[in-house]
Amino acid sequence: MSQSFDKLFDARGLNCPMPLVNARKEIGKLEPGKVLKVMATDRGSVADFQSWAKIAKNVELVAQETESVDGVSVYIHYVKRTA
Amino acid sequence: MAERRNDEVWTAEELLERLERRDKFFVLDVRNRDEFERFRLEGRSPVPAVNIPYFEMLELGGKDEILDSVVAYVEQHMANQLPSDLPILAVCAKGGTSEFVAQGLRRLGYASANLKGGMKAWGLHYATRAVVETPTLAVYQVSRPARGCLSYVVASAGKAVVIDPLRHLHPYLDLARSKGLTIERVIDTHGHADHISGGPALAAQTGASYHLHPYDAIHPIDVLPATFPYEPIRDGQIFSVGQHQLEALHIPGHTLGLVALRLDDRFVFTGDSIFIRSISRPDLGGKAETWAPLHGRSLRKLLELPGRMTVLPGHVSSLAEADDQGIFATSLDDLKQRNDGLLVLQRENEDGFVRYLLESLPRFIPEYVDIKRINAGLLAADEDEASTLELGKNVCALSQAYKDSSGETT
Repeated sequence: MSQSFDKLFDARGLNCPMPLVNARKEIGKLEPGKVLKVMATDRGSVADFQSWAKIAKNVELVAQETESVDGVSVYIHYVKRTA
Repeated sequence: MAERRNDEVWTAEELLERLERRDKFFVLDVRNRDEFERFRLEGRSPVPAVNIPYFEMLELGGKDEILDSVVAYVEQHMANQLPSDLPILAVCAKGGTSEFVAQGLRRLGYASANLKGGMKAWGLHYATRAVVETPTLAVYQVSRPARGCLSYVVASAGKAVVIDPLRHLHPYLDLARSKGLTIERVIDTHGHADHISGGPALAAQTGASYHLHPYDAIHPIDVLPATFPYEPIRDGQIFSVGQHQLEALHIPGHTLGLVALRLDDRFVFTGDSIFIRSISRPDLGGKAETWAPLHGRSLRKLLELPGRMTVLPGHVSSLAEADDQGIFATSLDDLKQRNDGLLVLQRENEDGFVRYLLESLPRFIPEYVDIKRINAGLLAADEDEASTLELGKNVCALSQAYKDSSGETT
């Protein structure tokens, strides 16, 4: 099942903390209600996005999934700006 | 200038030196809270630490950039929590995020260093120490300090036997190369639950024979046989190492196929039976009540060995168990006086000792079932999965071994 999104942020190849730091900046540029799709290769980002979304204001982690792209695991986070 | 740089980045090896020297420092660990709970830095003395996940610093610091957020967060929320008179070691999973934290702390005037490679590098760090090194006999203890895992290389006349090799083979291959040793045999004292054995791989890579007791070539919960070739160890079997001999003593209890290896009248490699502080748990095969009496009888058998023999165990629960040279070893006589489990064993009858064992079981670690599957060749794991399964310190001893070993302050 494919989750809908409004903007893609490709953080593949970036190491912690950059997927989260840069995704947070991108979310700040979105209109409320819009969803950012973040693609990351850093496996730690899965737990980090979950925990961060719980404390961050105006952010909701809508979904997470893992895909294999050319044999590389890609961790995908859908983050909605709520206000 | 070079010295200053050195102070700002600690490698895992430098960290171990500082922990062994009992250097005083403070840890700011910025990993997730559950990662911190599962696996934290521990030394010979408690290491004071505080855990603030980096995304909390980012969010509550409120700046766009991580470095600015760290500075803002520490100024607003941590001013009274950080010591100004101790070095602060910033720690994260892989050492990238903590570099920003260390920089931020230095910007605020703290003496701060980054743990290079993070807890991953610390968890993968190996140390090799000579227990004895003479022209005719050498015994090396190869440890993985963060996990409390110990393994051994016994060498004589250019030949070597490796006992309980850990997952990464480089410490053994490097040692063999630097000392001019041919690895002839690889022996697993038992089917390990807490870590992935390097035994079959080391044997395959060096052409050595691989030895395991046949009872431990069966996964105790799946009741399925190992898929790799091994030479079955029998009780009383003699393995020659150059001019010396190792004798296998079957001591079931922690596993059904556990063996100790006796090197002349000098050393006994006890595997997971007698440790330094405590003894091994009997429940990792899922049959605690059935195996506990066996465990007691096997330990009594070990107590009959000459008391001056040096015990070289398969695990420790704390760096505090090391001697002045950083080696984890002591005489059997010494352990009879101070090892938690052996004190009870000497005091109680069989029923009393079984009761003690069953009352002293730490929590069961679910990952250990899969690790045993990997060690029987029933499951495969890539490096990432393997290091996740092995994360943190071993929990192979009774619960008493793990009390008072952490230095958390929050």
